[in-house]
Amino acid sequence: MSRVVAITGACTYLGTELIRRLEEDRRYQKVLLLDVREPSALAEGATKARFFPIDLTQPTIDAEIATLLDREGVDTLVHGAFLAHPTHASEWAHELEDVGTMHVLNACAAARPARFIMVSTTMAYGAYPSNPNFLDESAELRGHKDSRFINDKVRAEKQAFRFARENPATRVTTLRFAPILGPTVSNLFTRFFSRPAAPVMAGHDPLLQFVHESDAAWALKLAVDTDVDGPFNIVGKGVLPYTTVLALMGRVPVPLPYLIARQMSKALWATQVFSSPPSLLDYLMYVCVADGARAKQELGYTARFSIKRTILDFLGLRPEDGATDVARAQG
Amino acid sequence: MAEPPEDGDEGGAADATPGPDGLWHDDDIYLGGEAAVSHSSDGLPGNERAATGGDHWFSSLDETADPDAPMREMERRMETGRTPVYPLDARRRVPMEFVWKRWRALAMRGRSDVVDDFGRDPIATARWEWVLDFLYSKWFRVEASGVDHVPARGPALLIANHAGSLPYDSAMVMHAIRKDHPARRDVRPLVEDAVFHLPWLGPLMNRIGGVRACPENAERLIAKGEVVAVFPEGVKGMGKLFRDRYRLQRFGRGGFVKLALRTGAPIIPVAVVGSEEALPLLARVTWFAKSVGIPYVPVTPTFPWLGPLGLVPLPSKWKIRFGEPLHVSREYGPEAADDRLLVGRLSEQVRAQVQTMVDELRA
Repeated sequence: MSRVVAITGACTYLGTELIRRLEEDRRYQKVLLLDVREPSALAEGATKARFFPIDLTQPTIDAEIATLLDREGVDTLVHGAFLAHPTHASEWAHELEDVGTMHVLNACAAARPARFIMVSTTMAYGAYPSNPNFLDESAELRGHKDSRFINDKVRAEKQAFRFARENPATRVTTLRFAPILGPTVSNLFTRFFSRPAAPVMAGHDPLLQFVHESDAAWALKLAVDTDVDGPFNIVGKGVLPYTTVLALMGRVPVPLPYLIARQMSKALWATQVFSSPPSLLDYLMYVCVADGARAKQELGYTARFSIKRTILDFLGLRPEDGATDVARAQG
Repeated sequence: MAEPPEDGDEGGAADATPGPDGLWHDDDIYLGGEAAVSHSSDGLPGNERAATGGDHWFSSLDETADPDAPMREMERRMETGRTPVYPLDARRRVPMEFVWKRWRALAMRGRSDVVDDFGRDPIATARWEWVLDFLYSKWFRVEASGVDHVPARGPALLIANHAGSLPYDSAMVMHAIRKDHPARRDVRPLVEDAVFHLPWLGPLMNRIGGVRACPENAERLIAKGEVVAVFPEGVKGMGKLFRDRYRLQRFGRGGFVKLALRTGAPIIPVAVVGSEEALPLLARVTWFAKSVGIPYVPVTPTFPWLGPLGLVPLPSKWKIRFGEPLHVSREYGPEAADDRLLVGRLSEQVRAQVQTMVDELRA
């Protein structure tokens, strides 16, 4: 059986990596790339991939996608057209993520592909003082009270959930990725941790979790391969306190009281000096760590990179460059 | 050398003029600097300028003026190439990598790059060990009895009474098992939100083994086979006044009983005596506390008066007794967790037992 996969947001990191992996897999016959511009992966001698210019912010794009899915006989649609960076153009971001998901789901309802796979983030759970140390997939998606970047993703997930209930013909899989870190990926967190200094909420030190970029790409491929449905947390191995992450990265921690940090961050965001939104501060204050047990059982995904390796890889260091070693420090 | 003043000015201005293409080059800037020095020493350019009438500093490159000029210019460039150009060199060779590596090593001191699922840091724990040990054996002179009732392996739920404005009792229960139990087990105390989210104290408790108290965390810890210390009275127990000392409050909503029934972990009642006298709570100030995000500001004989020093506990004599384990799950089975009346009854039974043990210890 040869399969036909369509990918929205083909230019994103995960989209590009998925194209590469599908190109190498004999089980896949065709890969349709839907994005506003041609992904660079296509230029590297791709044979199965074909590019279709699709802008999800256009009003009648759902009909266009539906005809495309029908004509090409798509059985799996991977919806990855989500922003990795928050943007000041929040209206446009809303059109792309929330309304764009609506368009894609409308097209799916008409064309009825066998599978719909959506990319999401564990940030959708929200960082709250009442969070348990490990949030499983059944936890409520609380988002963040005033972050459109996160809430648009929560709304997209809720739409997908409703779609799954109303369209049993399509199996809906949501992959909630922990913050992706790695040498080549670019997102909110890689940008945040690239700066020489980082704010620390005075007196707070939550546990953080990352997933290595190649683990994330592998998990997405696994989700396309395996016939599963429902939400999955895709997480890395292990957790580390935020200040330890900063110490491992060699970044200077700047302790600030939350109220001051929030006002500063709001001002810097409003004046577009900083590209990290004020909502990120909550994630530096309270724990938002997801449990990857379900992905392990049903998807067969276990992270290959520990959080320390992920951080060292992000920095471009070899594993032996690690700052300390438990055995050495205790001995 | 008698140079016309405007020429000298031009020589100086050469340093600050861009190259012939109107762009700045590192080369140009430093060449200019060198040129100015050599000019002032031999005075040649003055003559050249006079000969050609050119007002450009690089007029020495003009072949019509002097056929040897290119050769001399090349020699001069080789000469300047040999002399180190400090600003550029310094910029390229700043040992940032070294500084960064040193900083990383320094920042990682006293913390481990591997913590367990709940954030317990082995290096930080070892680092604070002596404080706990000092409090345990010197300050509170804790007498622990019945430690053998805690299993050497496998999960267990320690249910203890709670007192004192700060969770010294959870630290002492934790340390009693680590020090006096033959298996030296690590107890994971569940810490109520009010303490867990306190600035600095919360993260510190988390690093040395504390876990935020919630059913999901407790269940996960028990599933991992850890010994979990629960203080079901919660903030109510911690915040009871000195006149109500050793009068146990309601045991939450019986969550620990449900947990024990579901997971099959034995319940071990624990009585702690001495904690009430360590930080005797005379009054609770609540009107101010809400705005700072804590349940109440404690008033003890020392606290607000001596500042942070007032949070140092008084050296009261402590006794900790670990009681006989109750295997509720063996008796009632895991499905009994849904029987609310039974859960309430068992919860009250454990509370009464802890109360009896406390009274016995005080007598």
